[in-house]
Amino acid sequence: MTGIEIDTTRYDSGERMPSVDSRIYSNRQIFEEELEKIWKKVWLVTVHESEIPEPLDFRTITIAREPIVIVRGTDGTVRAFLNVCPHRGNLILRQPSGSLTVAEPSGNANHMTCMFHAWQFDCFGRCVDIPRMKQGYQERLRNEDVALTELPCEVAHGGFVWLSLNPDSGPLSAFTGGAFDAMKTELETEPLDVFHYHKAIIPSNYKLWHDTNSEFYHDYMHYFNRATSMVQKGYFDRRYGAFPNGHATVGSMEVKYDAYKGAAERPLSFPGMERNGWKMVDLFPGATYNIRGSSLRLDTMTPISADLVMIEFRGLGLKKDTAEERAQRIRDHNTIWGPFGRNLHEDLLGITGQGVTMRPGTAPRRILHGRHENNLIHDEIGMRHYYAEWARRMGRSPANPMAAPIAMAAE
Amino acid sequence: MSITTTDEIETTRTAIRETIYRACLLLDDGRFADWLDLCAPDFRYQIKAFSPEIRKEMTWYEQDVSGLRTMIEMLPKHNTDHGRLMRHATVYTIDIDRDGGNAVATTAFSCYRTAFDGINSHLDAGESQLFVIGRYHDRLRLGADGPRFVERTVVLDTRRLDKGSHYPV
Ligand code: FES
Ligand SMILES: [Fe+2]
Repeated sequence: MTGIEIDTTRYDSGERMPSVDSRIYSNRQIFEEELEKIWKKVWLVTVHESEIPEPLDFRTITIAREPIVIVRGTDGTVRAFLNVCPHRGNLILRQPSGSLTVAEPSGNANHMTCMFHAWQFDCFGRCVDIPRMKQGYQERLRNEDVALTELPCEVAHGGFVWLSLNPDSGPLSAFTGGAFDAMKTELETEPLDVFHYHKAIIPSNYKLWHDTNSEFYHDYMHYFNRATSMVQKGYFDRRYGAFPNGHATVGSMEVKYDAYKGAAERPLSFPGMERNGWKMVDLFPGATYNIRGSSLRLDTMTPISADLVMIEFRGLGLKKDTAEERAQRIRDHNTIWGPFGRNLHEDLLGITGQGVTMRPGTAPRRILHGRHENNLIHDEIGMRHYYAEWARRMGRSPANPMAAPIAMAAE
Repeated sequence: MSITTTDEIETTRTAIRETIYRACLLLDDGRFADWLDLCAPDFRYQIKAFSPEIRKEMTWYEQDVSGLRTMIEMLPKHNTDHGRLMRHATVYTIDIDRDGGNAVATTAFSCYRTAFDGINSHLDAGESQLFVIGRYHDRLRLGADGPRFVERTVVLDTRRLDKGSHYPV
Protein backbone atom coordinates (compact mmCIF):
# COMPACT_ATOMS: atom_id res chain seq x y z
CA MET A 1 0.00 0.00 0.00
CA THR A 2 2.84 2.38 -0.67
CA GLY A 3 1.41 3.71 -3.94
CA ILE A 4 3.60 4.69 -6.83
CA GLU A 5 7.32 5.02 -7.04
CA ILE A 6 7.85 8.65 -6.23
CA ASP A 7 9.19 10.65 -9.11
CA THR A 8 10.29 14.01 -7.87
CA THR A 9 12.72 14.67 -10.71
CA ARG A 10 10.56 17.39 -12.22
CA TYR A 11 10.89 19.12 -8.91
CA ASP A 12 14.16 18.52 -7.13
CA SER A 13 16.19 17.23 -10.10
CA GLY A 14 18.26 15.13 -7.76
CA GLU A 15 19.51 18.19 -5.90
CA ARG A 16 21.48 17.54 -2.76
CA MET A 17 19.09 19.75 -0.82
CA PRO A 18 15.59 19.94 -2.29
CA SER A 19 13.97 23.30 -1.63
CA VAL A 20 11.27 25.55 -2.98
CA ASP A 21 11.34 29.29 -3.60
CA SER A 22 9.12 31.18 -1.14
CA ARG A 23 7.46 33.00 -4.05
CA ILE A 24 5.31 29.92 -4.65
CA TYR A 25 3.66 31.00 -1.40
CA SER A 26 3.81 34.76 -1.77
CA ASN A 27 3.44 35.71 -5.41
CA ARG A 28 0.00 37.01 -6.43
CA GLN A 29 0.40 36.04 -10.07
CA ILE A 30 1.24 32.47 -9.11
CA PHE A 31 -1.80 32.40 -6.86
CA GLU A 32 -4.11 33.50 -9.69
CA GLU A 33 -2.55 30.92 -11.94
CA GLU A 34 -3.11 28.22 -9.30
CA LEU A 35 -6.81 29.03 -9.22
CA GLU A 36 -7.02 28.56 -12.99
CA LYS A 37 -4.69 25.60 -13.44
CA ILE A 38 -5.42 23.69 -10.26
CA TRP A 39 -8.47 24.77 -8.24
CA LYS A 40 -10.75 25.15 -11.26
CA LYS A 41 -9.53 21.89 -12.75
CA VAL A 42 -9.49 19.17 -10.11
CA TRP A 43 -12.01 17.37 -7.90
CA LEU A 44 -12.41 18.87 -4.41
CA VAL A 45 -13.98 17.42 -1.29
CA THR A 46 -16.58 19.74 0.24
CA VAL A 47 -19.48 19.21 2.66
CA HIS A 48 -20.66 15.93 4.16
CA GLU A 49 -23.90 14.33 3.02
CA SER A 50 -25.19 14.37 6.61
CA GLU A 51 -25.29 18.18 6.35
CA ILE A 52 -28.07 17.90 3.77
CA PRO A 53 -30.04 14.91 5.09
CA GLU A 54 -33.50 15.73 3.66
CA PRO A 55 -34.68 16.36 0.09
CA LEU A 56 -34.36 20.08 -0.74
CA ASP A 57 -31.75 20.70 1.97
CA PHE A 58 -28.92 22.87 0.69
CA ARG A 59 -25.44 24.14 1.56
CA THR A 60 -23.55 26.97 -0.09
CA ILE A 61 -19.78 27.17 -0.56
CA THR A 62 -17.17 28.94 -2.69
CA ILE A 63 -14.39 27.47 -4.81
CA ALA A 64 -11.87 29.70 -6.57
CA ARG A 65 -14.22 32.66 -5.91
CA GLU A 66 -17.12 30.90 -7.64
CA PRO A 67 -20.23 30.61 -5.44
CA ILE A 68 -21.74 27.13 -5.45
CA VAL A 69 -24.94 25.63 -4.07
CA ILE A 70 -25.15 21.95 -3.20
CA VAL A 71 -28.72 20.68 -3.01
CA ARG A 72 -30.31 17.33 -2.38
CA GLY A 73 -32.99 16.79 -4.99
CA THR A 74 -36.51 15.52 -4.45
CA ASP A 75 -35.11 12.30 -5.95
CA GLY A 76 -32.51 12.09 -3.15
CA THR A 77 -29.57 12.82 -5.47
CA VAL A 78 -27.05 15.46 -4.45
CA ARG A 79 -26.29 18.02 -7.17
CA ALA A 80 -24.10 21.11 -7.36
CA PHE A 81 -24.75 24.30 -9.32
CA LEU A 82 -23.14 27.67 -9.67
CA ASN A 83 -25.04 29.82 -7.16
CA VAL A 84 -25.20 32.60 -9.71
CA CYS A 85 -28.37 33.99 -11.23
CA PRO A 86 -28.32 33.77 -15.04
CA HIS A 87 -30.31 37.01 -15.21
CA ARG A 88 -27.94 39.68 -13.89
CA GLY A 89 -25.55 37.68 -11.82
CA ASN A 90 -26.94 38.04 -8.31
CA LEU A 91 -26.01 35.48 -5.69
CA ILE A 92 -29.08 33.26 -5.38
CA LEU A 93 -28.86 31.52 -2.00
CA ARG A 94 -27.27 33.69 0.64
CA GLN A 95 -27.35 31.45 3.73
CA PRO A 96 -24.74 28.78 4.53
CA SER A 97 -27.48 26.16 4.81
CA GLY A 98 -31.22 25.71 4.78
CA SER A 99 -34.15 23.99 3.17
CA LEU A 100 -35.80 24.99 -0.08
CA THR A 101 -39.11 23.87 1.41
CA VAL A 102 -39.25 27.28 3.08
CA ALA A 103 -40.82 29.93 0.82
CA GLU A 104 -38.88 33.15 0.22
CA PRO A 105 -40.46 36.62 0.30
CA SER A 106 -40.17 36.81 -3.49
CA GLY A 107 -40.46 33.14 -4.36
CA ASN A 108 -42.37 29.93 -3.81
CA ALA A 109 -41.53 27.03 -1.54
CA ASN A 110 -39.44 24.22 -3.10
CA HIS A 111 -37.61 26.65 -5.37
CA MET A 112 -34.34 28.53 -5.31
CA THR A 113 -35.39 32.12 -5.80
CA CYS A 114 -33.16 34.98 -6.78
CA MET A 115 -34.52 37.77 -4.60
CA PHE A 116 -33.54 40.51 -7.07
CA HIS A 117 -36.13 40.01 -9.85
CA ALA A 118 -37.72 36.82 -8.53
CA TRP A 119 -36.45 34.31 -11.08
CA GLN A 120 -37.06 30.84 -9.68
CA PHE A 121 -35.18 27.56 -10.16
CA ASP A 122 -35.99 24.03 -9.05
CA CYS A 123 -33.69 21.51 -7.37
CA PHE A 124 -32.60 20.21 -10.79
CA GLY A 125 -31.35 23.68 -11.73
CA ARG A 126 -34.16 24.31 -14.22
CA CYS A 127 -35.49 27.83 -14.50
CA VAL A 128 -39.16 27.47 -13.66
CA ASP A 129 -40.40 31.04 -13.35
CA ILE A 130 -39.46 34.37 -14.91
CA PRO A 131 -41.82 37.22 -14.00
CA ARG A 132 -43.44 38.88 -17.05
CA MET A 133 -41.35 36.71 -19.33
CA LYS A 134 -43.39 37.08 -22.54
CA GLN A 135 -43.90 40.84 -22.11
CA GLY A 136 -40.21 41.50 -21.70
CA TYR A 137 -38.43 38.84 -23.72
CA GLN A 138 -41.19 37.97 -26.24
CA GLU A 139 -39.97 34.82 -28.04
CA ARG A 140 -36.28 35.61 -27.58
CA LEU A 141 -35.66 33.71 -24.33
CA ARG A 142 -36.39 30.10 -23.45
CA ASN A 143 -36.23 28.73 -19.89
CA GLU A 144 -33.70 26.14 -21.07
CA ASP A 145 -31.26 28.94 -21.95
CA VAL A 146 -31.15 30.19 -18.40
CA ALA A 147 -30.82 27.02 -16.33
CA LEU A 148 -28.29 27.02 -13.51
CA THR A 149 -24.85 25.71 -14.47
CA GLU A 150 -24.53 22.20 -13.09
CA LEU A 151 -21.13 20.97 -11.91
CA PRO A 152 -19.70 17.45 -11.82
CA CYS A 153 -20.63 16.11 -8.38
CA GLU A 154 -20.18 12.76 -6.63
CA VAL A 155 -20.74 11.52 -3.09
CA ALA A 156 -17.79 9.35 -2.09
CA HIS A 157 -15.00 8.46 0.33
CA GLY A 158 -16.99 8.47 3.56
CA GLY A 159 -20.12 10.22 2.27
CA PHE A 160 -18.50 13.50 1.32
CA VAL A 161 -19.72 15.62 -1.56
CA TRP A 162 -16.96 16.02 -4.13
CA LEU A 163 -17.24 18.46 -6.97
CA SER A 164 -15.30 20.13 -9.71
CA LEU A 165 -15.60 23.41 -11.58
CA ASN A 166 -14.21 21.57 -14.59
CA PRO A 167 -16.96 20.09 -16.79
CA ASP A 168 -14.32 17.74 -18.25
CA SER A 169 -12.99 16.58 -14.90
CA GLY A 170 -13.58 12.88 -15.68
CA PRO A 171 -14.68 10.48 -12.93
CA LEU A 172 -13.63 11.19 -9.35
CA SER A 173 -12.13 7.71 -9.06
CA ALA A 174 -9.55 8.58 -11.73
CA PHE A 175 -8.46 11.58 -9.64
CA THR A 176 -8.27 9.96 -6.21
CA GLY A 177 -6.89 6.68 -7.60
CA GLY A 178 -5.66 4.39 -4.85
CA ALA A 179 -5.18 7.13 -2.27
CA PHE A 180 -8.10 5.88 -0.18
CA ASP A 181 -7.27 2.18 -0.38
CA ALA A 182 -5.68 2.22 3.08
CA MET A 183 -8.69 3.99 4.64
CA LYS A 184 -11.47 2.27 2.74
CA THR A 185 -12.71 0.02 5.55
CA GLU A 186 -12.77 2.89 8.03
CA LEU A 187 -14.71 5.16 5.65
CA GLU A 188 -17.01 2.78 3.82
CA THR A 189 -18.19 0.13 6.31
CA GLU A 190 -20.62 2.32 8.25
CA PRO A 191 -22.29 5.63 7.38
CA LEU A 192 -20.47 8.55 8.99
CA ASP A 193 -21.96 11.57 10.73
CA VAL A 194 -20.50 15.03 11.34
CA PHE A 195 -20.40 16.25 14.93
CA HIS A 196 -17.94 19.10 14.67
CA TYR A 197 -17.52 22.07 12.36
CA HIS A 198 -15.52 25.22 12.75
CA LYS A 199 -13.48 27.41 10.49
CA ALA A 200 -10.47 29.67 10.59
CA ILE A 201 -9.28 32.38 8.24
CA ILE A 202 -5.53 32.63 8.52
CA PRO A 203 -3.23 35.18 6.85
CA SER A 204 -1.02 32.62 5.17
CA ASN A 205 -0.75 30.69 1.93
CA TYR A 206 -2.98 27.61 1.67
CA LYS A 207 -0.09 25.37 0.65
CA LEU A 208 1.64 26.03 3.95
CA TRP A 209 -1.31 24.36 5.71
CA HIS A 210 -1.12 21.42 3.36
CA ASP A 211 2.63 21.24 4.00
CA THR A 212 1.92 21.09 7.75
CA ASN A 213 -0.51 18.25 7.15
CA SER A 214 2.08 16.51 4.94
CA GLU A 215 5.04 16.41 7.31
CA PHE A 216 5.49 15.15 10.85
CA TYR A 217 8.85 16.70 11.59
CA HIS A 218 6.82 19.50 13.18
CA ASP A 219 5.74 17.16 15.97
CA TYR A 220 8.51 18.97 17.85
CA MET A 221 6.03 21.86 18.07
CA HIS A 222 3.39 19.71 19.79
CA TYR A 223 4.11 18.62 23.34
CA PHE A 224 1.06 16.37 23.05
CA ASN A 225 2.55 14.48 20.10
CA ARG A 226 6.01 14.29 21.59
CA ALA A 227 4.59 12.61 24.69
CA THR A 228 1.97 10.37 23.10
CA SER A 229 3.70 9.46 19.85
CA MET A 230 7.28 10.49 19.23
CA VAL A 231 8.66 8.66 22.24
CA GLN A 232 6.40 5.66 21.62
CA LYS A 233 7.02 2.44 19.73
CA GLY A 234 6.27 2.52 16.01
CA TYR A 235 6.43 6.29 15.52
CA PHE A 236 9.60 6.28 13.44
CA ASP A 237 8.28 3.36 11.37
CA ARG A 238 5.28 5.28 9.99
CA ARG A 239 5.62 5.27 6.24
CA TYR A 240 4.46 7.65 3.56
CA GLY A 241 2.70 6.36 0.49
CA ALA A 242 2.52 8.49 -2.63
CA PHE A 243 -0.23 8.27 -5.23
CA PRO A 244 -0.83 9.75 -8.66
CA ASN A 245 -2.18 13.32 -8.85
CA GLY A 246 -0.24 14.51 -5.80
CA HIS A 247 -1.98 12.56 -3.03
CA ALA A 248 -0.10 10.98 -0.14
CA THR A 249 -0.89 8.76 2.83
CA VAL A 250 0.70 8.16 6.19
CA GLY A 251 0.65 4.71 7.79
CA SER A 252 -0.67 4.03 11.27
CA MET A 253 0.89 3.61 14.70
CA GLU A 254 -0.54 3.01 18.14
CA VAL A 255 -0.71 6.31 19.98
CA LYS A 256 -0.32 6.24 23.79
CA TYR A 257 -2.85 8.92 24.66
CA ASP A 258 -2.49 8.36 28.39
CA ALA A 259 1.15 9.47 28.16
CA TYR A 260 -0.22 13.03 28.15
CA LYS A 261 -1.49 14.07 31.55
CA GLY A 262 -5.22 14.70 31.26
CA ALA A 263 -5.72 12.67 28.08
CA ALA A 264 -7.01 9.13 28.06
CA GLU A 265 -6.80 6.07 25.90
CA ARG A 266 -9.34 6.10 23.06
CA PRO A 267 -11.41 2.94 23.39
CA LEU A 268 -13.58 3.79 20.38
CA SER A 269 -12.33 3.38 16.86
CA PHE A 270 -13.46 3.11 13.24
CA PRO A 271 -14.28 -0.16 11.47
CA GLY A 272 -11.09 -1.98 10.64
CA MET A 273 -8.86 0.35 12.61
CA GLU A 274 -6.82 -0.75 15.59
CA ARG A 275 -7.51 1.04 18.87
CA ASN A 276 -5.61 4.33 19.14
CA GLY A 277 -4.51 4.03 15.51
CA TRP A 278 -3.68 7.09 13.43
CA LYS A 279 -3.89 7.31 9.65
CA MET A 280 -3.90 10.16 7.19
CA VAL A 281 -4.71 10.80 3.55
CA ASP A 282 -3.44 14.11 2.15
CA LEU A 283 -5.24 15.13 -1.01
CA PHE A 284 -3.94 17.45 -3.66
CA PRO A 285 -4.45 20.41 -3.73
CA GLY A 286 -5.65 21.05 -0.18
CA ALA A 287 -7.63 18.57 1.92
CA THR A 288 -6.71 16.01 4.57
CA TYR A 289 -8.54 13.04 6.05
CA ASN A 290 -7.07 12.32 9.46
CA ILE A 291 -8.31 9.48 11.68
CA ARG A 292 -6.97 9.38 15.21
CA GLY A 293 -8.58 6.44 16.97
CA SER A 294 -12.13 7.53 17.61
CA SER A 295 -12.42 10.64 15.48
CA LEU A 296 -12.09 11.47 11.80
CA ARG A 297 -11.03 15.02 11.11
CA LEU A 298 -11.42 16.47 7.65
CA ASP A 299 -9.64 19.69 6.71
CA THR A 300 -10.78 21.48 3.58
CA MET A 301 -9.29 24.70 2.32
CA THR A 302 -10.65 27.67 0.44
CA PRO A 303 -7.75 29.81 -0.77
CA ILE A 304 -8.76 33.48 -0.72
CA SER A 305 -5.57 35.19 -1.88
CA ALA A 306 -1.84 34.45 -1.91
CA ASP A 307 -1.70 35.26 1.81
CA LEU A 308 -5.16 34.37 3.05
CA VAL A 309 -6.85 31.00 3.41
CA MET A 310 -10.00 29.69 5.02
CA ILE A 311 -9.67 26.26 6.58
CA GLU A 312 -12.78 24.33 7.58
CA PHE A 313 -12.47 21.61 10.19
CA ARG A 314 -14.95 18.80 10.55
CA GLY A 315 -15.11 16.00 13.08
CA LEU A 316 -16.96 12.77 12.31
CA GLY A 317 -18.02 9.63 14.06
CA LEU A 318 -20.29 6.76 13.08
CA LYS A 319 -23.95 7.43 12.44
CA LYS A 320 -24.84 4.46 14.64
CA ASP A 321 -23.00 5.86 17.69
CA THR A 322 -24.92 5.75 20.97
CA ALA A 323 -25.17 9.06 22.83
CA GLU A 324 -22.34 7.94 25.16
CA GLU A 325 -20.11 6.87 22.29
CA ARG A 326 -20.70 10.14 20.48
CA ALA A 327 -19.91 12.17 23.60
CA GLN A 328 -16.66 10.21 23.96
CA ARG A 329 -15.65 10.82 20.34
CA ILE A 330 -16.35 14.52 20.79
CA ARG A 331 -14.20 14.69 23.93
CA ASP A 332 -11.36 12.89 22.17
CA HIS A 333 -11.63 15.20 19.18
CA ASN A 334 -11.64 18.37 21.29
CA THR A 335 -8.58 17.46 23.33
CA ILE A 336 -6.32 18.32 20.44
CA TRP A 337 -8.45 19.32 17.44
CA GLY A 338 -11.18 21.68 18.65
CA PRO A 339 -10.75 25.47 18.50
CA PHE A 340 -9.59 25.20 22.13
CA GLY A 341 -7.62 21.99 21.54
CA ARG A 342 -3.93 21.48 22.31
CA ASN A 343 -2.59 20.86 18.79
CA LEU A 344 -4.73 22.79 16.34
CA HIS A 345 -3.89 26.15 17.89
CA GLU A 346 -0.17 25.33 17.64
CA ASP A 347 -0.47 24.26 14.01
CA LEU A 348 -2.32 27.47 13.14
CA LEU A 349 0.33 29.58 14.91
CA GLY A 350 2.95 27.79 12.79
CA ILE A 351 1.49 28.82 9.43
CA THR A 352 0.61 32.26 10.79
CA GLY A 353 4.30 32.87 11.40
CA GLN A 354 5.23 31.55 7.96
CA GLY A 355 2.59 33.87 6.51
CA VAL A 356 4.39 36.88 8.03
CA THR A 357 7.72 36.01 6.43
CA MET A 358 6.07 35.19 3.09
CA ARG A 359 3.76 38.16 2.51
CA PRO A 360 3.49 39.20 -1.14
CA GLY A 361 6.52 41.32 -1.89
CA THR A 362 8.85 39.80 0.69
CA ALA A 363 12.28 38.76 -0.52
CA PRO A 364 12.47 35.35 -2.20
CA ARG A 365 13.88 32.77 0.17
CA ARG A 366 14.80 29.14 0.08
CA ILE A 367 12.34 26.88 1.92
CA LEU A 368 13.86 23.48 2.62
CA HIS A 369 11.95 20.34 1.74
CA GLY A 370 15.04 18.19 1.95
CA ARG A 371 14.67 15.61 4.71
CA HIS A 372 15.42 12.11 3.46
CA GLU A 373 14.60 9.36 5.96
CA ASN A 374 13.62 6.40 3.75
CA ASN A 375 10.10 7.78 3.28
CA LEU A 376 9.49 7.32 7.00
CA ILE A 377 7.75 9.75 9.30
CA HIS A 378 10.23 12.65 9.38
CA ASP A 379 10.98 12.38 5.67
CA GLU A 380 9.63 15.33 3.70
CA ILE A 381 8.57 13.16 0.78
CA GLY A 382 4.91 14.07 1.33
CA MET A 383 5.69 17.67 0.44
CA ARG A 384 8.07 16.77 -2.39
CA HIS A 385 5.47 14.52 -3.93
CA TYR A 386 2.86 17.30 -3.74
CA TYR A 387 5.14 19.79 -5.44
CA ALA A 388 5.99 17.36 -8.22
CA GLU A 389 2.27 17.42 -9.09
CA TRP A 390 2.12 21.18 -8.58
CA ALA A 391 5.00 21.56 -11.04
CA ARG A 392 3.27 19.34 -13.57
CA ARG A 393 0.01 21.28 -13.43
CA MET A 394 1.55 24.73 -13.20
CA GLY A 395 4.31 24.17 -15.72
CA ARG A 396 6.61 25.88 -13.24
CA SER A 397 9.43 24.64 -11.09
CA PRO A 398 8.76 25.29 -7.37
CA ALA A 399 12.49 25.92 -7.00
CA ASN A 400 12.51 28.50 -9.79
CA PRO A 401 8.90 29.54 -10.09
CA MET A 402 9.31 32.85 -11.91
CA ALA A 403 10.95 31.32 -14.96
CA ALA A 404 8.64 31.27 -17.99
CA PRO A 405 5.99 28.58 -17.63
CA ILE A 406 6.22 25.43 -19.68
CA ALA A 407 3.35 23.29 -20.99
CA MET A 408 1.73 20.84 -18.58
CA ALA A 409 3.64 17.58 -18.61
CA ALA A 410 1.81 14.35 -19.33
CA GLU A 411 0.68 12.26 -16.36
CA MET B 1 -30.91 26.47 53.00
CA SER B 2 -34.09 28.40 52.43
CA ILE B 3 -34.29 31.95 51.23
CA THR B 4 -37.54 33.67 51.96
CA THR B 5 -37.44 37.36 52.82
CA THR B 6 -36.99 40.06 50.22
CA ASP B 7 -33.79 41.08 51.94
CA GLU B 8 -32.40 37.56 51.79
CA ILE B 9 -33.24 37.33 48.12
CA GLU B 10 -31.57 40.65 47.37
CA THR B 11 -28.45 39.74 49.38
CA THR B 12 -28.23 36.41 47.58
CA ARG B 13 -28.64 38.02 44.19
CA THR B 14 -25.86 40.48 44.97
CA ALA B 15 -23.58 37.67 46.11
CA ILE B 16 -24.23 35.70 42.94
CA ARG B 17 -23.64 38.70 40.70
CA GLU B 18 -20.37 39.43 42.51
CA THR B 19 -19.22 35.85 42.20
CA ILE B 20 -19.80 35.90 38.46
CA TYR B 21 -17.97 39.20 38.06
CA ARG B 22 -15.15 38.04 40.30
CA ALA B 23 -14.78 34.95 38.10
CA CYS B 24 -14.49 37.25 35.08
CA LEU B 25 -11.70 39.25 36.70
CA LEU B 26 -9.81 36.10 37.69
CA LEU B 27 -10.09 34.70 34.17
CA ASP B 28 -9.00 38.07 32.72
CA ASP B 29 -5.92 37.97 34.94
CA GLY B 30 -5.12 34.35 34.12
CA ARG B 31 -5.59 33.39 37.80
CA PHE B 32 -7.10 30.03 36.93
CA ALA B 33 -6.42 28.34 40.27
CA ASP B 34 -8.22 31.17 42.08
CA TRP B 35 -11.05 30.93 39.58
CA LEU B 36 -11.40 27.23 40.39
CA ASP B 37 -11.63 28.14 44.09
CA LEU B 38 -14.98 29.73 43.22
CA CYS B 39 -16.13 26.40 41.83
CA ALA B 40 -17.63 23.43 43.66
CA PRO B 41 -15.67 20.14 43.52
CA ASP B 42 -18.30 18.75 41.12
CA PHE B 43 -18.01 21.76 38.77
CA ARG B 44 -18.44 21.11 35.06
CA TYR B 45 -17.29 23.53 32.37
CA GLN B 46 -18.40 23.41 28.74
CA ILE B 47 -18.07 25.55 25.64
CA LYS B 48 -20.85 25.03 23.11
CA ALA B 49 -21.91 26.54 19.83
CA PHE B 50 -24.58 25.83 17.27
CA SER B 51 -23.44 25.21 13.72
CA PRO B 52 -25.99 25.95 11.00
CA GLU B 53 -23.55 24.30 8.58
CA ILE B 54 -23.99 20.88 10.16
CA ARG B 55 -27.31 21.74 11.85
CA LYS B 56 -26.07 20.61 15.24
CA GLU B 57 -25.29 21.96 18.65
CA MET B 58 -21.59 21.27 19.17
CA THR B 59 -19.51 20.84 22.29
CA TRP B 60 -16.11 22.41 21.72
CA TYR B 61 -14.69 21.95 25.18
CA GLU B 62 -15.69 20.00 28.25
CA GLN B 63 -13.86 19.56 31.57
CA ASP B 64 -14.45 18.83 35.21
CA VAL B 65 -12.40 20.47 37.96
CA SER B 66 -9.53 18.01 37.84
CA GLY B 67 -9.47 18.20 34.04
CA LEU B 68 -9.30 21.98 34.19
CA ARG B 69 -6.51 21.89 36.79
CA THR B 70 -4.50 19.46 34.67
CA MET B 71 -5.10 21.49 31.55
CA ILE B 72 -3.85 24.62 33.26
CA GLU B 73 -0.85 22.77 34.66
CA MET B 74 0.06 21.54 31.15
CA LEU B 75 -0.23 24.93 29.43
CA PRO B 76 3.41 25.96 29.95
CA LYS B 77 4.47 22.94 27.89
CA HIS B 78 2.49 24.18 24.91
CA ASN B 79 3.22 26.79 22.29
CA THR B 80 0.44 29.32 22.58
CA ASP B 81 -0.75 32.76 21.60
CA HIS B 82 0.37 35.30 24.20
CA GLY B 83 -2.50 37.74 23.75
CA ARG B 84 -4.56 38.60 26.77
CA LEU B 85 -8.24 37.78 26.87
CA MET B 86 -10.48 40.26 28.66
CA ARG B 87 -14.20 40.00 29.23
CA HIS B 88 -16.98 42.54 29.37
CA ALA B 89 -19.92 40.89 31.06
CA THR B 90 -23.40 41.82 32.22
CA VAL B 91 -25.44 39.55 34.43
CA TYR B 92 -28.86 39.63 32.85
CA THR B 93 -30.95 37.31 34.99
CA ILE B 94 -30.64 35.40 38.27
CA ASP B 95 -33.25 32.85 39.25
CA ILE B 96 -33.03 31.53 42.77
CA ASP B 97 -34.52 28.23 43.77
CA ARG B 98 -35.48 29.25 47.29
CA ASP B 99 -35.63 25.78 48.81
CA GLY B 100 -32.92 23.91 46.98
CA GLY B 101 -30.18 26.43 47.66
CA ASN B 102 -29.41 26.67 43.96
CA ALA B 103 -29.51 29.48 41.45
CA VAL B 104 -29.16 29.84 37.73
CA ALA B 105 -27.81 32.97 36.08
CA THR B 106 -27.51 34.15 32.51
CA THR B 107 -24.70 36.54 31.67
CA ALA B 108 -23.99 38.15 28.32
CA PHE B 109 -20.31 38.60 27.60
CA SER B 110 -17.88 39.68 24.97
CA CYS B 111 -14.27 38.58 25.14
CA TYR B 112 -11.57 40.71 23.56
CA ARG B 113 -8.03 39.73 22.78
CA THR B 114 -5.31 42.32 23.14
CA ALA B 115 -2.51 41.14 20.91
CA PHE B 116 0.97 40.56 22.21
CA ASP B 117 2.44 38.43 19.44
CA GLY B 118 -0.62 38.95 17.22
CA ILE B 119 0.15 38.09 13.60
CA ASN B 120 3.24 40.29 13.36
CA SER B 121 3.88 41.73 16.81
CA HIS B 122 5.62 44.80 15.44
CA LEU B 123 2.32 45.81 13.87
CA ASP B 124 -0.25 44.17 16.09
CA ALA B 125 0.98 44.20 19.70
CA GLY B 126 -1.39 46.35 21.71
CA GLU B 127 -4.34 46.05 19.36
CA SER B 128 -7.58 44.77 20.87
CA GLN B 129 -9.89 42.70 18.74
CA LEU B 130 -13.15 41.01 19.52
CA PHE B 131 -12.42 37.31 20.00
CA VAL B 132 -15.84 35.85 20.84
CA ILE B 133 -19.25 36.87 22.08
CA GLY B 134 -21.77 34.67 23.83
CA ARG B 135 -23.52 33.90 27.06
CA TYR B 136 -22.55 32.22 30.29
CA HIS B 137 -25.24 29.92 31.58
CA ASP B 138 -24.24 29.30 35.18
CA ARG B 139 -25.63 27.10 37.91
CA LEU B 140 -24.48 27.99 41.40
CA ARG B 141 -24.85 26.32 44.78
CA LEU B 142 -25.61 28.65 47.67
CA GLY B 143 -23.59 27.63 50.70
CA ALA B 144 -22.37 29.13 53.95
CA ASP B 145 -19.21 30.51 52.33
CA GLY B 146 -21.08 32.07 49.43
CA PRO B 147 -22.23 30.94 46.00
CA ARG B 148 -20.08 28.37 44.20
CA PHE B 149 -20.23 27.51 40.51
CA VAL B 150 -21.53 23.99 39.85
CA GLU B 151 -21.86 24.35 36.12
CA ARG B 152 -20.84 26.85 33.50
CA THR B 153 -21.94 26.42 29.92
CA VAL B 154 -20.39 29.01 27.64
CA VAL B 155 -22.64 29.31 24.61
CA LEU B 156 -20.74 31.07 21.87
CA ASP B 157 -22.40 33.06 19.17
CA THR B 158 -19.04 33.47 17.42
CA ARG B 159 -18.21 30.46 15.31
CA ARG B 160 -15.17 31.60 13.37
CA LEU B 161 -12.35 31.59 15.89
CA ASP B 162 -9.43 31.76 13.48
CA LYS B 163 -6.29 30.75 15.36
CA GLY B 164 -8.33 29.76 18.44
CA SER B 165 -7.02 29.66 22.00
CA HIS B 166 -5.74 27.34 24.69
CA TYR B 167 -7.58 29.18 27.46
CA PRO B 168 -11.09 28.90 28.87
CA VAL B 169 -13.24 31.89 27.86
S1 FES C 1 -30.38 38.98 -10.97
FE1 FES C 1 -31.48 37.25 -10.41
S2 FES C 1 -33.49 37.66 -10.97
FE2 FES C 1 -32.38 39.35 -11.65
FE1 LIG D 1 0.43 19.42 13.77
